[in-house]
Amino acid sequence: MTEAASIEHTVVNILSDVLHESVEDLNNHPVLAAYDWDSLSSLEALSQLESQLGITLDLRSYQAARRISDLVDLVREASATTAGQR
Amino acid sequence: MSNSSTLLEAVRSAVEERSAPSAEVRAGLVQLTDPGLARKLGRLLGGLQAADADLPPVTLAVLATCTVGPFEPLLRTSLVGVGALPAISVGDYGNFEFALGSGAFAEGGDPDVLACLMEESYFLPGDWSGGDVEAVTSHLQARLEDFRSLIGSVTKHSAATVVLHTLPLPAEVRESFLSWRARAELARAWHQLNADLLALAADHRQVQVVDLVSLLADQPFPARDARLHRYADLPYTDGALHVLARQVARIVQARMGLSRKVLALDLDNTLWGGVLGEVGATGVELGGLYPGSCFLNLQRSARRLREQGVILVLASKNDAEIVEDALGNHPEMLLRSDAFSVTAVNWSPKADNLRQAAESLSLSTGSFVFMDDSPFERGQVASELPEVVLVSAEGDPAHLVNSLLAPGWFDVLELTETDRDRPALYRTRALRNDFQGGFGSSEDYLQALGIELRIEPVTPFGVSRVAQLAARTNQFNLTGIRFDEARTAAMATDPNHLVASLSVSDRFGDEGVVGAFWVDCGEQTWRVLNMVLSCRVLSRGIELAAVDWLASRAEQAGATTLQGSFVTSSKNATAAPFWERAGFRPAAEDGTFTLDLRDGWNPAPSWITQPDRERATR
Repeated sequence: MTEAASIEHTVVNILSDVLHESVEDLNNHPVLAAYDWDSLSSLEALSQLESQLGITLDLRSYQAARRISDLVDLVREASATTAGQR
Repeated sequence: MSNSSTLLEAVRSAVEERSAPSAEVRAGLVQLTDPGLARKLGRLLGGLQAADADLPPVTLAVLATCTVGPFEPLLRTSLVGVGALPAISVGDYGNFEFALGSGAFAEGGDPDVLACLMEESYFLPGDWSGGDVEAVTSHLQARLEDFRSLIGSVTKHSAATVVLHTLPLPAEVRESFLSWRARAELARAWHQLNADLLALAADHRQVQVVDLVSLLADQPFPARDARLHRYADLPYTDGALHVLARQVARIVQARMGLSRKVLALDLDNTLWGGVLGEVGATGVELGGLYPGSCFLNLQRSARRLREQGVILVLASKNDAEIVEDALGNHPEMLLRSDAFSVTAVNWSPKADNLRQAAESLSLSTGSFVFMDDSPFERGQVASELPEVVLVSAEGDPAHLVNSLLAPGWFDVLELTETDRDRPALYRTRALRNDFQGGFGSSEDYLQALGIELRIEPVTPFGVSRVAQLAARTNQFNLTGIRFDEARTAAMATDPNHLVASLSVSDRFGDEGVVGAFWVDCGEQTWRVLNMVLSCRVLSRGIELAAVDWLASRAEQAGATTLQGSFVTSSKNATAAPFWERAGFRPAAEDGTFTLDLRDGWNPAPSWITQPDRERATR
């Protein structure tokens, strides 16, 4: 699995876990508003993403995400910055 | 069960099968370090209903000055970990003071436990001047006064155990003062606030205070997340909330009598460094510099546990003779042979030894913690006795004490005299069981024991011991109602109730207070609300003597009927035949038994003498 695919995989898995939705459903309907994406579930996903991937996300951009792909992009960006800092 | 995916799978299938997670899985929940996983597990465990799981239920209300958020699932994981099945109700956001003041903090009536989650802004002024630290200081004092009176009112209208915690001073607040002198003054006021919060535990018996500040200082992760604080009013990180949840669960564990009573210890590479059989008594590492100092420190900790009522058992694969030599003659040895209530030094499997030790102590292996450095020995015990908690003594011996103490397996809410005397009591008990082998019949044995029983109404000094018995006794516990200190104290002084304690001594020693009953004294009918008797003194007829005592007291008061009930639990089968054995008849209502005092009743067994009573009747 490439790094990009692996990030996408991790993000979708965490969302599936937090939102109690199957990976398949999330892939078919990638709009976050379609799910129970409230402040608490989004923050739980945030803390899991940050601890599992060792990154820090910008909360404003994170809140602005509408689709799963937006989150994947954010995580990818943050991973690249973190990797660059190492 | 430390592997996260195994733990997740085990919890998931337990919830699907609608059964309680096994003892091994629960021990895994207690030792979890990943708050994300703990949160996930807590959500899963929310699917478990009281009817599904064979765990004692506990009701919790959570009130917070901020968002409760992940605290609820974290609490649930920690509570199931200690062996309780929680029903948690969370107070409405922004309703902290009103709920505390009005007592309206649980939908389903008074909860067993009220856990408060607090953050700094509750005590701080909305804004302050960096040049006026005195204004902040006096505001803190005033807020604490308000809070103190709120807690006072809670303790008046609720019997719940109230759990509070100390609060860390956020850097944002500290750094808003530029002068070092003002900063020191602020810190002093803040420490005073925390000290005053801690003092609430001394003021009210039903209040417990967790020193969250010290606990957070030991954690490798941040306690606060400014983003979550500003965005969602969640000041603490999941990690910090998990630390607090663990402490609340420990308090519940102690309150419900779910704590462990016995510590079984290995010797080689646990109580000393090295293998005795190879290096001899003079060659083991104990005392002096590192690493010997670590083993000595563990012995010190074990000795302190013993002083506080934990029973020590020695479980070592060694030749008894050389162990005796080392325990008796090594100059640095703190734990000598007499520190252990049972000694099992032989080559049998350790699970067999633990089982036998439990038998001679008349305790269940479910009250054992076993500490050993060998993964093989721990594995053997885990496979045969999964209810035993395992503590690893592997790795750097500098961590030994923390591995043993940090999970809080032995916590109690309050220490009583009996706690302090327990190890010695159990040591005589183990001897007594050996003595039992030599008698023709058990009645001969009982006659020879010379049992003296003292039954008396509970005085204020006895309340905490009696409440502790109520919390800890599982086998001879007739109705499962666990009257706590506050209720016991109230009943003890109420003329319509009677709370009495039973103390027993025999030729081997004084057992102290071993039982109690709580009675509702009606005009015609005296109703026994519950009676508990420590498993230490079962099968000696003590409970029958108690009925005799109670019957004559009820008769003297003019009552005609004594009524008792029995409520089945998973552990009290041994007490099921009690009422009928004592001469009661089953009443129409299920689980209720009555004794008509006008027809007389069975006298106390002949082998029991009651010095107080004989004097009184003369």
